[in-house]
Amino acid sequence: MATRLLVLEDDDGLRTSLRLVLENEGYDVVEAADAEVALEAVDQPGVDLMLVDLMLNGMDGFSFIRRARPQTDAPIVVVSARDGVQDIVAALEAGADDYVTKPFVVEEVQARLRALLRRPAMVSEGTRSREDDVFVLDSGNGPLVFDRGAAILTRGSRELHLTNTEFRLLGVLVDHAGRVLSRSALLEHVWDRGFFGDERIVDVHVRRLRRKIEMDPGTPSVLVTVRGLGYRLDVR
Amino acid sequence: MTRWRKVHGLRSSVTVAFALGALALSAALALGTYFSARHYLVEQRERTAMRQAFTDAAFVRDNLLTSGAQVSDVLGSISPPAGTVIFVHRDGRWYSSSLDLPGPEATSGVQPVVATGAAGVGWTSVTEPGAVVVGVPLPAVDAEYYEVAVAEELDRTLSTLGIALAICAAVTTLGGAMVGRAASRRVLAPLADVTTAAVKVSAGDLDTRLDRTEDPDLAALVGAFNNMVDALHERIQQDARFAADVSHELRTPVTTLTTSLSLLQGSTDLSPEVARAVELMAVELARFRRALEDLLQLGRLDADVHDAQPAEIGVRDLVRQALLAGGRAPALLVAECDPLREAHVTVDRPQMLRALTNLFDNADTHGGGLVGVRLKPRGTFVDIHVEDGGPGVPAEDRERIFERFARAGGRKLGTGSGLGLSIVARTVHNHGGSVWCTTRPGGGATFVLRLPLVHGDDA
Repeated sequence: MATRLLVLEDDDGLRTSLRLVLENEGYDVVEAADAEVALEAVDQPGVDLMLVDLMLNGMDGFSFIRRARPQTDAPIVVVSARDGVQDIVAALEAGADDYVTKPFVVEEVQARLRALLRRPAMVSEGTRSREDDVFVLDSGNGPLVFDRGAAILTRGSRELHLTNTEFRLLGVLVDHAGRVLSRSALLEHVWDRGFFGDERIVDVHVRRLRRKIEMDPGTPSVLVTVRGLGYRLDVR
Repeated sequence: MTRWRKVHGLRSSVTVAFALGALALSAALALGTYFSARHYLVEQRERTAMRQAFTDAAFVRDNLLTSGAQVSDVLGSISPPAGTVIFVHRDGRWYSSSLDLPGPEATSGVQPVVATGAAGVGWTSVTEPGAVVVGVPLPAVDAEYYEVAVAEELDRTLSTLGIALAICAAVTTLGGAMVGRAASRRVLAPLADVTTAAVKVSAGDLDTRLDRTEDPDLAALVGAFNNMVDALHERIQQDARFAADVSHELRTPVTTLTTSLSLLQGSTDLSPEVARAVELMAVELARFRRALEDLLQLGRLDADVHDAQPAEIGVRDLVRQALLAGGRAPALLVAECDPLREAHVTVDRPQMLRALTNLFDNADTHGGGLVGVRLKPRGTFVDIHVEDGGPGVPAEDRERIFERFARAGGRKLGTGSGLGLSIVARTVHNHGGSVWCTTRPGGGATFVLRLPLVHGDDA
């Protein structure tokens, strides 16, 4: 089945040209000219990916992302003419997975979408047995268990909800548990971005992940920062 | 005077004017003092000499009257004070108490007065120093009495006074010059502040203002200067806003164009002519998009540095990443640092990678290809030399090429935006560094990017 892609963009010309190109690439494109229409589309199951403009008439892109995030784990790529640090960080904090600034070439958007579409389970593809896919990340009160095969993260008996990108980030960190991963390495592994990538994407996602997996996100004990170098996952 | 001031500066002019004023004043005072003192002293000396001469003349007259004594005997019985010579003129003969001095010449100034029967006083310069000549007629013995007293003490007093006054005048002149220098410095001090502020403003620091002052003489200057900077700032902001607004408005249409065109490019059923036209459009649109991106980037760099997120990074790592980001061989990097002491800089990594990539691209586009990148420590800085194998940049273009939309040589299809090097300059400037272009020893151009080093404990 074709990947269903929601394009939320209020500029008719750009939205139409994006639909033409992305349909040509094999996506099943759903157009939305404002956030209300887009929210209705998200309410229906089946949206796999979203391209979201930040500056919209009526409800803006930030509010849309905040409203849509609880409904879906589908990756959200922000497409924006706003490229200030605050805007990008705010969009990522709201739940976006990556961003592209205008003017862009459509190949760039396609590359971002492809990177985010890689399934969490694909990180562990290979010859691992079922047992090898289960990792106990924190054996403290209410053990934190990551089952990559089943794409499930639990703290005690409670299942923690991660977005696709958060799952893939955790997967890469688990693969290199106990070793420091630089921000650019994480950008490369998770977002498929090169050296020009924005390391703030990594920082915001690490913050988001910590809020879910750490007992005290302010003083992380599992996903720790190694100053000047990057991040390290400590299995305890 | 005006020309002199032009050559020597306001401060020297004021100093000299003060010195000349002090000199004129002190010279006038000194001369006045000298001449009035001299007048008084001379008069006093003459009175003394006359008193002495009258006493001595009376003695001589009395002696000559009594026993018809000879003049020479009478003169021999007088013991005049040191430096005083007595002459007696009688019967056409001159008698003197000293053989050194010729009587007629020494007393010639007073003789006519004495001849009229009155006592006379005058000066002669037959002696060295000059002497007071007092002549007294002695009608009772039919003789003329003269006394020539050398005014040695008076001369010494006057020369001492003259020296003292000259020294005073010189000291006063010097003092005047010093006061002038201090005054001009005091007056010009606010100008130094204005100069400093103007230099800062011209260097791009438009937040510079002069401090408010209570001094009514300076308030107008300070106010005018600050208003000028305000106006300049406002004007620059307007220009920047306009450029930003235009660039911003172009983002979406350019994106729509490139997106639609990519569909056309992917199409296989175009005639060769149309395909060629589409290709041309794509190339030029790509250039347009790059120019727009560069403009936006420049606007961000101009607007503020708040966007920058400086972090410490090893220079070699930075250059390696820049080479890799552009798909170039890391082996192009030749480090001349001590490999154990890795040099670190604090930079916004994406901005600096972009600046370095711009330099590499520039070397490839205009400089016949990137030949190598060298790192050279320079004190508290590190120099990154980007060397190319092209024809080099003519000396007169070496500054111009960092200006916006400046180009060396002709325009080729699909080349840069003309903003790449200004982005480099702006980025480096924001990081407290500098960039310039020079020649490479083996031919070609070298772009030197100088960045301040980090000297931290954890460097």
